[in-house]
Amino acid sequence: MVIVWAAMAGGAERVDFSRDIQPLFAKRCVACHGPDTQEGGLRLDSQAGATGALASGGRAIVPGDSAASEILARITSTDPDVQMPPEGARLAPAQVASIKRWIDEGAEWKEHWAFRPLVRPPVPAVAGVGNPIDAFIRAELERRGLPVPKPAEKLALVRRATYDVTGLPPSEQEARDFLADESPRAWERVVDRLLASPHYGEQWARHWLDLVRYADTNSFERDSKKPHAWRYRDYVIRSFNDDKPYDRFVIEQLAGDELPGPSSDELIATGYYRLGIWDDEPADREQARYDWLDDIVSTTGQVFLGLSINCARCHDHKIDPLTQREYYAMLSFFENITPLGDRHLNPAFIERPIATEGTSAEEVSHRAQDLDRRRQEARLEVAAIEKRIKEHGDQAIDDLAKADLATLKDRVKSLDKEHAGIAKALVVSEFGREPRPTHIFYRGNPHAERTPENRVEPAFPAVLRAPAPEIVPPADSRTTGRRTALAKWIASPDNPLTARVMANRVWQHHFGRGIVRSPNNFGFAADPPTHPKLLDWLAAELVASGWRLKPLHRRILMSEAYRAAASGNGEASAKDPLNDAFWRFDMRRLTAEEIRDSIHAASGVLNPKMFGPGVYPAIPEAVLAGQSRPGNGWGTSPPEEQARRTIYAHVKRSLITPIVADFDVADTDTSCPVRFVTTQPTQALGMMNGDFLHNQARVFAERARREALAANTQPGTSADDDVAAIVRRALEIALVRPIHDDEVMRGVALVDVLESQDGIGPSRAIEIYCLMVLNLNEFIYLD
Amino acid sequence: MFLYGNPAMAFNPASPRGSFCQRTRREFFWEAGGSFTGLALAGLLDGGFFARQTHAATGVPFANPLAAKPPMFAPQAKSVIFLFMYGGPSHVDTFDYKPALYPLDGKTIKVKTKGRGGERSESRVVGPKWKFKQHGECGKWVSDLFPNVATHVDDIAFLHSMTADSPIHGSAMLQMNSGKIQSGSPCLGSWINYGLGSINENLPGFVVMLDPTGGPISGAKNWSSGYMPATFQGTLLRSKGAPILDLAPPDDMPLEAQRAMLDALREANTAHLLPRSDNTELAARIAAYELAWKMQEHAPEAVDIASETEETKKLYGLDNPRTADFGRRCLLARRLVERGVRFIQLYSGGAHNDDNWDAHGDLVKNHEFHAGNTDRPIAALLTDLKRTGLLDSTLVIWGGEFGRQPTAEYAEGTGRDHNAFGFTMWMAGGGIKGGVSVGETDELGAAAITPEHDGKTGFHVKSLHATVLHCLGLDPNRLNYFFGGLDQKLVGVEHVSPIQEILA
Repeated sequence: MVIVWAAMAGGAERVDFSRDIQPLFAKRCVACHGPDTQEGGLRLDSQAGATGALASGGRAIVPGDSAASEILARITSTDPDVQMPPEGARLAPAQVASIKRWIDEGAEWKEHWAFRPLVRPPVPAVAGVGNPIDAFIRAELERRGLPVPKPAEKLALVRRATYDVTGLPPSEQEARDFLADESPRAWERVVDRLLASPHYGEQWARHWLDLVRYADTNSFERDSKKPHAWRYRDYVIRSFNDDKPYDRFVIEQLAGDELPGPSSDELIATGYYRLGIWDDEPADREQARYDWLDDIVSTTGQVFLGLSINCARCHDHKIDPLTQREYYAMLSFFENITPLGDRHLNPAFIERPIATEGTSAEEVSHRAQDLDRRRQEARLEVAAIEKRIKEHGDQAIDDLAKADLATLKDRVKSLDKEHAGIAKALVVSEFGREPRPTHIFYRGNPHAERTPENRVEPAFPAVLRAPAPEIVPPADSRTTGRRTALAKWIASPDNPLTARVMANRVWQHHFGRGIVRSPNNFGFAADPPTHPKLLDWLAAELVASGWRLKPLHRRILMSEAYRAAASGNGEASAKDPLNDAFWRFDMRRLTAEEIRDSIHAASGVLNPKMFGPGVYPAIPEAVLAGQSRPGNGWGTSPPEEQARRTIYAHVKRSLITPIVADFDVADTDTSCPVRFVTTQPTQALGMMNGDFLHNQARVFAERARREALAANTQPGTSADDDVAAIVRRALEIALVRPIHDDEVMRGVALVDVLESQDGIGPSRAIEIYCLMVLNLNEFIYLD
Repeated sequence: MFLYGNPAMAFNPASPRGSFCQRTRREFFWEAGGSFTGLALAGLLDGGFFARQTHAATGVPFANPLAAKPPMFAPQAKSVIFLFMYGGPSHVDTFDYKPALYPLDGKTIKVKTKGRGGERSESRVVGPKWKFKQHGECGKWVSDLFPNVATHVDDIAFLHSMTADSPIHGSAMLQMNSGKIQSGSPCLGSWINYGLGSINENLPGFVVMLDPTGGPISGAKNWSSGYMPATFQGTLLRSKGAPILDLAPPDDMPLEAQRAMLDALREANTAHLLPRSDNTELAARIAAYELAWKMQEHAPEAVDIASETEETKKLYGLDNPRTADFGRRCLLARRLVERGVRFIQLYSGGAHNDDNWDAHGDLVKNHEFHAGNTDRPIAALLTDLKRTGLLDSTLVIWGGEFGRQPTAEYAEGTGRDHNAFGFTMWMAGGGIKGGVSVGETDELGAAAITPEHDGKTGFHVKSLHATVLHCLGLDPNRLNYFFGGLDQKLVGVEHVSPIQEILA
């Protein structure tokens, strides 16, 4: 921020309130001078509050007259009793200068950019630019005097795009085809091919699963398994691959069960509500219940709306115009949802039989009910006989009854088995059609007094100017219809946040950062959009194309901005070090899953099988030892299953596969909008010493040898020639580009040293070389 | 530096192992585009670093988040050793002397309790099973379970009215470690490393040593960095074998071969960096491999106690099978503190039930066992830290996730259920006043009754956390991390005061 400010202050342009002033007030002032508290009678979240009379009689901001504005005296004072902000760093000189100029320019106040109705902005006229995205980007580059980037090399581009769209490297054939295709439509063909790949859904589902904190277990002491959670994961993959309209995707997850005659997918989608952490043994049930609901409010607000509504649980929001009443009004949409269970998971709350191929939902449901009834009968009979035995003693019971007992127990077992064979989904359910009341809890304490005065009804935050929710319980349902009302409002084109938030996420995962860098926070404290008009244009485009994502991806992938080179430029870097203007494409490191999948791809074992229950990558004993029951809740999968894409790995909250944990996989307990990218020595230890890497390096070496020698048909080549061929092949596989002779020479030299100086056998030396290749920066960074 | 198409500079197999092309490490970092510390000094690790990390992963100049940072004010302690008595030791049988409880043994009385077995208002008293004696100049009453720790009471501050929000292991463990009863938040050790960074880049800054019987309930959640980067999570350190996961190469890759591989890797990565020299992450990753190499060398040294004298080993009880394991870990803790590790946590007890202090059945058997395993090592740690001068800058914490009830859990036997209404922890060392006891439970030891602290009765876990941060020169109410729309703090949103009564 500081750097950006400095750059801004020098210009002759007017100060931009939305970009330069309001976020500063939000971050540094509004916690004490905002919606919740107004110290000194000042509130800086509204124009009236900022320019009105203070408790002292003065005025913080006098439009057009910075000298008369008390705020200037306070932010420049060196007197600790007077200076503002009272804690933390002083405002930077450039920030002070911006505030001063903004006041002198008339202290223009604008509605927060994210809350304004979405209107498609006109595309700037820029000569020679066809793609509207590029017109917006070019206009900003020109405004800031930054150069237009060079296009990326073809190989770098196809590698970048293949990872972005599918999470996997391009095949060598794909790379060669693109290189050879000199037609003007070459790139378009690549884009269309990538967007049609089933791997697209796997890659983009991963981003969504990060947001909804997907996991297969519940955390806490037992960290027990969530039954059928994987079906939700598969549903998300299918939804992306089918290019399901985003509004539909929202409605299905929030209220799929309330749709008329819900399909299997519409039921599975509501597993959304069951993904979070859940305490089966809470110290305080009420507290746990409302902590759990808060997790849903928090996740729903941040994921779908980019709003931290959760901050208004105990008091009015400190920064955003959201009241505590509005928090509870939002919570009331979820108030009627059943918990996952009591001490144990309750199947009646969270499971529902679903139709599979060849059966209808009705048939399955009848069959499940019938089985339930028969199971119940058999159990009662067992219990009756056992009671008799207990009361009268084993002796007093005749052999007939004992034989019956054995038979009955067998029957229960077989009925249980049959029941387990019915496909079921992890779903939401409610307590009934009548909503339970919701109250505002003083300081967020669920034990606070519940009075008629503090009772709230479902409502949307006033700042978003939404109509009152229309709540109709669906026919024949055992739910209130509240979630449908919420879902419809979120999925409406009139909601100013939904389309903006999602368009930003799409941009984020193509460019490595959102136009808004805080994708889960579009409130006052958000990072202001670097290209506000482009964001609105993309959002409008998303809505206009029927909320389908693929047309948006296509637009973005076809842009010059996306196809720009990643190379540096000293002058541009000095002007815009964070690349706010997109004067180049930012390099990025592969994600944890991409790294693991790429290693499997290089060794040639990547198993493309899609869908199904989670698989268990091998975890070293040393890591299992951290569990109170080592190995508990972790299965074993055969090697070919372990080699499936990482998105299919079982996610146990308290036990994460080391290589995935090392490379910054999303924490599963809260919504993760942006992955960290840390660089630390423990990553290097795992990559150079870990079992997984050594095993894969071995398989990779075998593959390189096999392919190199198969290709090498010339008779009479020496062993040295073989080594060179294997080295070359290994590099080709891993880096997907032509390999220079000197790179091969260096590889051969390493193998030589290992053999001659370190006494390593020839085949092991090749393996160690292949291990080195998997460790290359080039292997895990994209240009 | 090796360039494409310049065979004259090809890989030189004669380069000595362990050096970087005959350059010193400092020179190498300089050429590689900047070192961790270099970047930090250049001021790139400003307050906005983490904000940028949470918003945008790329395009951000790399800065090592673990670089040492100055505290907010002059600290009393630099490191913390947390002796975690997992399962919940009974305070009325160890350090909280309740003479009134003995004569009530076996009598059923009215007393409000809440534990694993639910809430009760009436139960059978189990009188304390050990005698208490006065010790030290302060005359502190300590039970016969801790005869050796008792000799240190003049260096210890006892907190007798601790309270926690949950009497259930899973959530109480999370609270003691992360301040919250739900998972997902960073642990105390994460916060300390976030606030202060690490002064030894060859060792992790947050180290956890488990009991040989296994990890605690919730496993890795107890050393998770939650919503902070993985940089701040705890690292498991084993007292036997390779101390850290993947610290040693497998047998079929000897160190010399590994070094040859690393040299080749560095050359290739350096060539890759050259046209991308403004990407400091690439340079950092090159440096990270050299740091990993150094860790391989230094971490085993840190846990190698061969250089310790026989007297020291004996002091820690390594000559006795009962105390050898915990003694060894206490000794390692001292060695890690010497090497600048910020936060070290040792678990006494692991797994479930009587493998830890969770004495639901036979109180005497359970506590004799766990106290017997730890008394001498803990006393030795205090002695050793004191004689080496380290105690002045090392904060030692003792306690479990909660205490135990004065009454019996079952109709028969001496087992006590969990008690989060009142229990004892103690602290010693940097910043702590010795020979004091603050806070009280009622005459039965059932619940905290004094003092009033931050508007609540007794000292909540948050107050303990606030005190720890304060001793390290960090203001608990200002050490924050922006996440989920708000400035998160270890101690929560409401103001929490350190426990002034025990500060030196």
